[in-house]
Amino acid sequence: MRFSDSLPETDLPKGVKDFLPLKAAKAEYLQQQLQQVFAAWGFRPVITPQLEFLDVLELGLGEGLRDRSFRFDDRQSGRLLTFPADMTPQIARIAATRMRELPLPLRLCYSGRVLRHTEQQAGKDRDIFQTGVELIGLDGPEADAEMIAMAIESLKAVGAEEFTIDIGQVDFFCGVMDGLPLAGKLAEQVADAILRKDSSELQALLKDVELEDPARAEILALPRLYGGREVLKRAAKVVRNQRSRKALDDLEQVLDVLEIYGVLDHVTVDLGELRGLNYHTGITFQGFLSGLGRAVCSGGRYNNLTAQYGFAAPATGFTFNLQQLLFALDSTLDASVKPSSDLLIYADAGQLRPAQQLACQLRKQGYSVARDILPRNPEAAREYAKTMNYKYMAVVSGEEKAIELIDLVAGQQQLIPWQQFYQQGLAARNAKQ
Amino acid sequence: MSDWITFALPKGRIMLDSMELFGKIGITCAEMDEKGSRKLVFENAQQKYRFMAVRATDVPTYVEYGCADIGVVGKDTLLEQRKNLYEPLDLKFGYCRLVVAEPKELQQNDNPQNWSNIRVATKYPNVTERYFAAKGVQVELIKLYGSIELAPLVGLSERIVDLVSTGGTLKANGMVEVETIAEITSRLIVNRASLKTKHQRIRKIIEELEPLIGDDVRISE
Repeated sequence: MRFSDSLPETDLPKGVKDFLPLKAAKAEYLQQQLQQVFAAWGFRPVITPQLEFLDVLELGLGEGLRDRSFRFDDRQSGRLLTFPADMTPQIARIAATRMRELPLPLRLCYSGRVLRHTEQQAGKDRDIFQTGVELIGLDGPEADAEMIAMAIESLKAVGAEEFTIDIGQVDFFCGVMDGLPLAGKLAEQVADAILRKDSSELQALLKDVELEDPARAEILALPRLYGGREVLKRAAKVVRNQRSRKALDDLEQVLDVLEIYGVLDHVTVDLGELRGLNYHTGITFQGFLSGLGRAVCSGGRYNNLTAQYGFAAPATGFTFNLQQLLFALDSTLDASVKPSSDLLIYADAGQLRPAQQLACQLRKQGYSVARDILPRNPEAAREYAKTMNYKYMAVVSGEEKAIELIDLVAGQQQLIPWQQFYQQGLAARNAKQ
Repeated sequence: MSDWITFALPKGRIMLDSMELFGKIGITCAEMDEKGSRKLVFENAQQKYRFMAVRATDVPTYVEYGCADIGVVGKDTLLEQRKNLYEPLDLKFGYCRLVVAEPKELQQNDNPQNWSNIRVATKYPNVTERYFAAKGVQVELIKLYGSIELAPLVGLSERIVDLVSTGGTLKANGMVEVETIAEITSRLIVNRASLKTKHQRIRKIIEELEPLIGDDVRISE
């Protein structure tokens, strides 16, 4: 094919993707595995709408996402509508309104898609698949630990081997930053340097700021406070302020619970991690798979969110980004996801009726079966079946005659008596003829 | 393979400077010293280190995507690309400056405060755009891939934004610096997931390197 400079007329906007059967099967598998874990922990699914009033959803959207929402006019109401950029505010709204009469805590899970504007860069998704949970009405370390333990269990369930859940504490950072004489642009630059763990930049930015020595030591320590559980000890040595110390205690208790759950091996701590949506209020965390620079899941405590919808309750939750997860586990999933169908049934001339009956019968037995309806020779059908990932093809030559069963993977064939195959399906293939 | 640490290093002088620094903390690669080799990947199987020689502007990409855990790259490239990476160490070598320059004749009666609607040729369109936007100056950007100094000589643009280390090239082409946008040095960058999943090894590398880096920047030539 010659390279052509013009785009095809049927192209897609940037940042959205079609998922063909091989990929779609994997995405579906991931979603099912996650939902099984959520169900095992007592979480029940809710389904949220794809359209919301912008002003309503915005009550609970962090600033970063407010700018990135798709919005448009509603002809019915004259108000602005949005396609949700995040599902957590939707769940918060539902919990605070429709479910407010129910006793707390609420354990809810969801799976859906959100849309976000992104910069025009390659590889950034605008259509994001979120699968996650929200735990509303519980505060305290055990609830935080439940989220982290569930995220770890979820990652194990989808077959991730090397991964870490990296825990941060928003209050710890706020405690350090409170009371520092940093305003406007400088505060932003300082936060950005901490985010990039750029110690030399941080030092340079603070050089001319009047700070007491302990306060300076606190903030300069932030880019290096990452690692295993020992980070808490290192942090306790430098941090004096009350709010940060309380945050450390809190974190210590969460880690204690995680130790009981036996998942501490998968936990790291990063007290200089400020990424995350800005509605978080305490423990936050992100899941990383070895080698993939972006988080596959993220979550944390958001105690002020439901109050935006008129019902104050502590809450925590997390969400998986299915595309990131799929990207990271793509080849691992080959083993667990078989997108193939079991059987293609080919009918010799004049044998439509038995072929159709056989297809019905085998479907009842639980096999995935398709009929090769096209009039063509068996070689062409076999070629088709192999290309389309069928495992077997059966050639039906009549109820009196044996069925030729072709194993498309092994490239072997055998004859099986009609009755035997009709009754036992593919289980008949090992029986002696 | 995942207990290996992979480095992405820019081919050339910075790679040599990096390996010299890494050598001080015992990270070496004998394979790399073989003369005349055209290999792009070098290994130290005993210590489980791998080194990739790539174009400087590609270093952040390899690290962001996790093909490399650690990289060394100039701050100019990081400013331009703004990738989602950690930059824990300023290595202080590879010093240069990112500057606005113009022909000497233009500079004699030029006042930067009067700049508006200027045309600028550069390899760094993003940095240039942000820099002038912050000053409130509208610019027409012309992205070039090399020999930026040529642009004002042939009338492609009035000014350029480019890296300067000694200033020799500018001078030879009759140009002068008018403003400094940023001082540039080489940085150690780390993939976000690697810093977490391999924190013991990477943390050790960072902590051992940090005290070895002096306060003075130096030009790498």
